[in-house]
Amino acid sequence: MIKTVDLKKTFIGRGQTVHAVDGVSAHIKPSEVVVIIGPSGSGKSTYLRCLNGLETLSSGHIIIDGVDLSDRKTDLNLVRREVGMVFQQFNLFPHKSVLQNIVLAQQVVRKRKTEEAEEKARMLLKKVGIPEKEHEYPIRLSGGQQQRVAIARALAMDPKVMLFDEPTSALDPEMVGEVLEVMKQLAREGMTMVVVTHEMGFAREVADRVLFMDQGKLVEEGTPEHFFTAPQEERTKAFLRQVL
Amino acid sequence: MKIVWEKWSWTMLTLLILFSLGAGLWVATKKIDYTWRWNRVPQYFVYHNEDAQTVPFDARVTKIEQGRESATVTVISENDVTETFVVDTNEVAVSVDEDLFEGDTIGYTLEWRAGPLLVGLWTTLWLSAAASVLGLIIGLITGLCRVSTNTTLRQLSVFYIEIIRGTPLLVQIFIFYFFLGTVLDISRIVAGISALAIFAGAYVAEIIRAGIQSIPKGQMEAARSLGMNVPQAMIHIILPQAFKRTLPPLAGQFISLIKDSSLVSVIAITDLTKSGREVITSTFATFEIWFVVAFLYLLLTSVLSQVIAWVERRLAVSD
Repeated sequence: MIKTVDLKKTFIGRGQTVHAVDGVSAHIKPSEVVVIIGPSGSGKSTYLRCLNGLETLSSGHIIIDGVDLSDRKTDLNLVRREVGMVFQQFNLFPHKSVLQNIVLAQQVVRKRKTEEAEEKARMLLKKVGIPEKEHEYPIRLSGGQQQRVAIARALAMDPKVMLFDEPTSALDPEMVGEVLEVMKQLAREGMTMVVVTHEMGFAREVADRVLFMDQGKLVEEGTPEHFFTAPQEERTKAFLRQVL
Repeated sequence: MKIVWEKWSWTMLTLLILFSLGAGLWVATKKIDYTWRWNRVPQYFVYHNEDAQTVPFDARVTKIEQGRESATVTVISENDVTETFVVDTNEVAVSVDEDLFEGDTIGYTLEWRAGPLLVGLWTTLWLSAAASVLGLIIGLITGLCRVSTNTTLRQLSVFYIEIIRGTPLLVQIFIFYFFLGTVLDISRIVAGISALAIFAGAYVAEIIRAGIQSIPKGQMEAARSLGMNVPQAMIHIILPQAFKRTLPPLAGQFISLIKDSSLVSVIAITDLTKSGREVITSTFATFEIWFVVAFLYLLLTSVLSQVIAWVERRLAVSD
């Protein structure tokens, strides 16, 4: 589904160069749920953002569904509609109602008719548990509700893969559960998911595979059982001691 | 209750200050030898125009039909050519069987005509409206170029903005009229509107740029992650939000534009200011007319700010 080969992303700022992602190779299979964890600044968010072209690569390759993103001839807009993304800060469109948030890209990008797009939007709102909020504006929703709308908005494009960039980090603790529940349901339905998160419980319960990143490098990977009970690398052990 | 009383007493103080300022002004103008002639002003807004109807040949009046508002006068010439004229009922100047010579007045039609001040107000209004719309379009395009990733577009827009903002509007109007007007053979009105529009465009561009840059980066990222291309994201996501945020500064800019439009009177466009000057030359009511002109500008600008305030309230539903 997604294959990255020696992916590198370097930020060049005032006199200093930061290797945010420093040669990550990974292969994500269809219907697989991959959770990426690691300390802040480890490059896991940057890696995720590279996967749908929000960051341009410094070197390496990303192949999604057989299409090479690093190829100049690739139309990133065509790739992005197959790759849904959920952000830490929700990024709902504040000037559009909940329903319009979900409908807009379907109409503009997928060229769906209004009735079809609205029907799909209502179905997805029901799925994420807030069908009654369709006419509200995002500002009037709680963080958890906003993030669920954001998930519905991404799902409306019928993506083959969903990327989650710390989807619960900006939420009040009591709202984390409702968002994770939606994600778990999605995983059960067989969606291919790549999740950057600090929720170790979610990783343990839902992930098929856990990737641990530190300083832009993929340090260790494995099944949750292996990863949480018998980590091999010293850095992984140190990280787990701090978070568990 | 206490707060209401306090606010009320402060309002009284405001009124007192304004009143004493007015009284001081009144006393001061009393001391100079100036006769106020406010009664001369209204006729320069609208006036009753008397239009004389005359016979084109020697003739005799055969019939006068009196209607409620107008009278129809029928005349017959020596060659038996009949012709009818319509004049106002109370303004018939002939009677039946009266012999008329070529050029005699049969009667008058009266009608209300807009005076120079009203005509000038209208000119200022549509001049500013045209310049605002053009200025908004120019500003929008330049603003988008200003935030473009293309270096040439960015540099060109900065070049334009710097030149326009760094030179006085009065000088720009002269250059547009005397230089471009001659080179490109454009009329004074086109030169005037273009100068105002290009002037306003430079400021609007900076307002739009600031508006676009004030939208969080995540909005563009969210739009792109859904597969929208940059123009789609701009049209559906970024610009509507930027427009809402830039409405107050844009309103200020367009209010300035209405006021700045008074400068086109220097290239002999008969706007409100020039009309005012023309009326003064025939009435010598200098003080009155300038006060009236100032009031008319104030009227235009306050109507505009009310309209924009209304639009702002409409857009506030998503806040």
